[in-house]
Amino acid sequence: MITTEHLGKSFPIGGLFNRHALHAVRDVSITVGRGETLGLVGESGSGKSTVGRLMLGLLPATTGRVLFEGQDLAAARPAQMRTLRRRLQLVFQDPYASLDPRRTIGAQIADALVIHKLVSPSFRPARVAALLDQVGLAPDHAARYPHQFSGGQRQRIGIARALASGPDFLVADEPVSALDVSVQAQVLALLAGLRAELGLAMLFISHDLPVVRHLADRVAVMYLGRIMEEGPVKAVFATPRHPYTQALLSAAPSLHPERRRARTLLQGDPPSPANPPSGCVFRTRCPIAAPACASTIPALAGLTHRVACIRV
Amino acid sequence: MWFLRRLGISVVLVWVAASVVFLAIHLVPGDPAELLLSQGGSAPDRAMVEELRDQLGLNRPLYVQYGQQMWRLLHFDLGRSMQDDSPVSEEILRRLPRTLELILAAGLMAVVIGIPGGTAAAMRRGSVFDRATSWLASLALAIPVFVVGTLIVMVFAQWLRWVPAGGFIAFAKDPVQHLILLAMPASAIGLGLSAVMFRMTRAAVLDVMLKDYVRTARAKGVKPGRILTRHVVRTALMPVITVLALYLGTLLGGTVLVEFVFNWPGLSGSLVSAVNARDYPQVVGIVLVISVLFVGLNLTVDIIYGLLDPRVRK
Amino acid sequence: MTRLPWPALAATALIAVLAILAPWLGLPNPVTMDVPHRLAGPSAAHWLGQDEFGRDVLTRLIWGARVSLSVAVSAAALACLIGTALGITGGYLRGIAEILTLRSIDVLLCFPPLLLALLVVTLLGPGATTLIPVLALVYLPGFTRVAYAGVLTARSQDYVEAMRVLGAGSGRIMLRTILPNIGGPVLVQFSLAMAAAVVLESGLSFLGLGVVPPAPSWGLMIGAARATMAQAPLLLLWPCLALTLTVLVMNALCDGLRDAVDPHPTYRPAARRLLDAIAPGLLPTPKAVLDLAHLTVEIDTPAGPIHPVRDVSLQVFPGETLAIVGESGSGKSVTSLAITGLLPGAAHVTEGAAFLDGTDLLRLPEESLRKLRGDKIAMVFQDPGSSLNPVHRIGAQIAEAIRAHRPLSDKAARAEAIALLRRVGLPDPDSRARAYPHELSGGQRQRVMIAIAIANHPSLLIADEPTTALDVTIQAQILELLSDLKRERGLALLFITHALPVVAEIADRVAVMYAGEIVETGPTAEVFLAPHHPYTAALLRSAPDEEGPPPVGIPGIVPPPTALPPGCTFAPRCPRAIPECTAAPPALRSAGAGRLTRCIRWNA
Repeated sequence: MITTEHLGKSFPIGGLFNRHALHAVRDVSITVGRGETLGLVGESGSGKSTVGRLMLGLLPATTGRVLFEGQDLAAARPAQMRTLRRRLQLVFQDPYASLDPRRTIGAQIADALVIHKLVSPSFRPARVAALLDQVGLAPDHAARYPHQFSGGQRQRIGIARALASGPDFLVADEPVSALDVSVQAQVLALLAGLRAELGLAMLFISHDLPVVRHLADRVAVMYLGRIMEEGPVKAVFATPRHPYTQALLSAAPSLHPERRRARTLLQGDPPSPANPPSGCVFRTRCPIAAPACASTIPALAGLTHRVACIRV
Repeated sequence: MWFLRRLGISVVLVWVAASVVFLAIHLVPGDPAELLLSQGGSAPDRAMVEELRDQLGLNRPLYVQYGQQMWRLLHFDLGRSMQDDSPVSEEILRRLPRTLELILAAGLMAVVIGIPGGTAAAMRRGSVFDRATSWLASLALAIPVFVVGTLIVMVFAQWLRWVPAGGFIAFAKDPVQHLILLAMPASAIGLGLSAVMFRMTRAAVLDVMLKDYVRTARAKGVKPGRILTRHVVRTALMPVITVLALYLGTLLGGTVLVEFVFNWPGLSGSLVSAVNARDYPQVVGIVLVISVLFVGLNLTVDIIYGLLDPRVRK
Repeated sequence: MTRLPWPALAATALIAVLAILAPWLGLPNPVTMDVPHRLAGPSAAHWLGQDEFGRDVLTRLIWGARVSLSVAVSAAALACLIGTALGITGGYLRGIAEILTLRSIDVLLCFPPLLLALLVVTLLGPGATTLIPVLALVYLPGFTRVAYAGVLTARSQDYVEAMRVLGAGSGRIMLRTILPNIGGPVLVQFSLAMAAAVVLESGLSFLGLGVVPPAPSWGLMIGAARATMAQAPLLLLWPCLALTLTVLVMNALCDGLRDAVDPHPTYRPAARRLLDAIAPGLLPTPKAVLDLAHLTVEIDTPAGPIHPVRDVSLQVFPGETLAIVGESGSGKSVTSLAITGLLPGAAHVTEGAAFLDGTDLLRLPEESLRKLRGDKIAMVFQDPGSSLNPVHRIGAQIAEAIRAHRPLSDKAARAEAIALLRRVGLPDPDSRARAYPHELSGGQRQRVMIAIAIANHPSLLIADEPTTALDVTIQAQILELLSDLKRERGLALLFITHALPVVAEIADRVAVMYAGEIVETGPTAEVFLAPHHPYTAALLRSAPDEEGPPPVGIPGIVPPPTALPPGCTFAPRCPRAIPECTAAPPALRSAGAGRLTRCIRWNA
């Protein structure tokens, strides 16, 4: 349904004299099918949020392209883009900043209906009420303001707003990281339910591996702007093949430390995306790096479970 | 690198200011020469207008005039006064130090009163001292500077007859009298400025005291006095310095009122007489010099900022 | 919006009404002269006396307000209109529009305001009609900058991006989300410009470059009265008083508006109301490094006092890690701040004792407590980015901690700081000691914070969410470092976190907090295997794990400390609640060896 081909994004940084490019995303080719959820995992600075923005057409790609049902987002005319906007939606990370504090939540959920002229004005309240009900809130909450809700409730409102236009593809950018554990589980269950009910395709961006394991069908692991490994959730979690994925999985604290596989502790910090290492970007922290890793950029190879490493 | 870039920006700003002053006279509708000569609605003499046009070079094309003006400015040639035909730069050089002296004295007073006062009020937040000083500061802020000046003259010169009503005596001639005459206008300006410094310092100190790194310092067991000097005041002073510099900058033109009230023969006073006499070269010269000083002051602030905060120097 | 500054608003309105109604107040004509009675003192006909031409002073004062305010309001309005429009255009369109509007406005800032005004007056000549555009020009940059800054802030808000995601056009976004955002600051700027314009107008008039005589203006009146100040000093005082009062009132209005638009939290001065009498039975357990008993913390809020921490008791033993785990609002961080005496101003301890090696921290005077902090008891905070002072080198910040407690020379302290940096695993410690915090990564900054904490060999280290802001791989490094240090130095570690898996990794014992109370304590492995409180059980079920079933949430929300339910605070969300649960607050009860639970049904 939505595919990226060799997607790349660089941002200019530096002043007038030492201007250079920060490559936030490089050569990302991923596909999300109808009704499918792709988990996109990475640490801060890995470029995972930028991929989400690129796939929604909120940022123009520097290289490569995004195809939604075969339509190139960059080539879409304004009228086509308006339709695409309706079908591509986003759920934000921060439930506090993503709602306008000065407007009722009903008005904010109704925005999509107004902008895309989806229902006649007299039916809008009913539609808003139905949406609120769908995300587990009472219909009479429509007249309240965001500050009257808890973090978890706000995230439900954010989801209702994203659903209002009837999207086909949803990018959820760390939708639960700002929430308490007990509330996280509620929101994750809501997202899983809606996905099944509406047949949504979803890109689920997160830094939290266990969360992705329970929600996604497939998972892609990013490091410094590149995809390191991609495959079905079960396969990647059970038999991670890229040394970075292995390290990431073993670093995540577990409720059952005694059952965990041997821990590979990565040394140091990730290099700056403004000045990434040559060849494989992970080689500077990789426990199995070889001299050849510095010269070749490993391609993402494989059929369903793909790995970008010349050593496996 | 960072310093050179800031310097470059300042040079550009000076050039822009000079260009604006040049353009200002041409942007006003009507013939500048005629406008300058017309007094009280009567049409000026044609011959005089022509002469002035010639004298100011207004007959040549605009870009030629602009080029010449810039060329002259590069050589510090500000033209001649229309009142007495003396070089404008001479007059400015004679009067500028007196104005700067006044501003520095006022600034010193503001720093000495405002910064310790503001810090003390912030440390005793909500106390009687805090409320009383804050109220005083509000009052001091509300009295316009020429009102303060006039009242000082009335009380100290008229009623008490302690001091003369104003004037200027060179330091070399009579240092004591010079300082007395300086103290009056300086305190008229310094009062309001102290209030500004007081409020800024108080707000900044309160703000910094809530920072995480102050909590860290407390968690380290650092003594309160050292927390104040090393962790609070240094960061709190940054906005205070900016504001002080901004105010000192506005004072470059703002001493007009005080110089007038106390008969202080500074730069601003001659600006007013030049404005009244429509002495265009004189006005342009003074405005330019003050603007350059203003830009230089802002540059100084940026440099101090860079010295205080390593994050700026990138 | 918080409270508006009503008194200042009313006073300003009064002045404005007087000014507006001046022609209908039955006052004498402000310009009619009465030369025989020049400089006459106050009389029944002329309450405030007559001026140098025998004109009525009171009339001229009121008419002066009219001139002053109309010039100020018109100028501020003009500047507001043009300046805000320029700022919004520049901020919203960016690119060329930004350069054209903002940079051209910046040029105006090259000139001091009064100077700018004088330059324009030279060109246009004096008079009230000139004054308005002159003052407008002077205050234009302020409005442009405020509007521009407001637009930039609004643009970066998630909810503005949300509108773009929905496909909203620029017009709708400007009108709906950006304009309301800058309304407040622009209003404040308007009041500021008005007050400043009143001052500037009077100043220019005083110099004879503003309002032209015989029209009444406070500046002109002061200027004229100077000549006769020996004979009629009152004549000088009246306009001075009128001007000062007006500016005072308007400044108060500005301050009030600014506070209303940009509310800062108000903190009351710290007042430590400690119970003088120690309840019996609060004697310290000899072995524990920290023995906290019945801690209750109160915070004064406008709606009355709330208690974010109630009756919290716990012990930390040498070489042991105790984790306090809880969701936001559980009171876990407040507990740690109370122990170290670092509670924010509005909060204070009302009850309890905290024995550190036999001394009660909660009853210690600040100076003695300071000597313990950073020495025997050290802390690491959540956000290493803001917890280090940005303007000092990290080596100096560590050395400061050392020298706060030990009489070492500067040089020796610095050498020790470098050794500490090496111990916490900072690469290349000799040169990195001279680095500033912003030159380090988040993980490295947290290592520096740990170096500061262990500098004086503390017996208790309190770590408040030390890895929450860090990436998973970095978190693993920091947890490893803390475990090593604990083993190596026999530290007692009080670890505060919301993450159950982290607790499982690091803690020997765990205390689970909910809504300000400890609901369960015990050895970590046992508690996680067989929780004795329904909240612990529900929390464990809601944590996603690599293996096991998908997480299940807890219905409902944590009750706010302003509205605690009666009885057991978890009862409304508890699947096993019975009527007895809401009858009375349950006490912590023993539930097996080394285990406590606050549930009356734990073995039911």
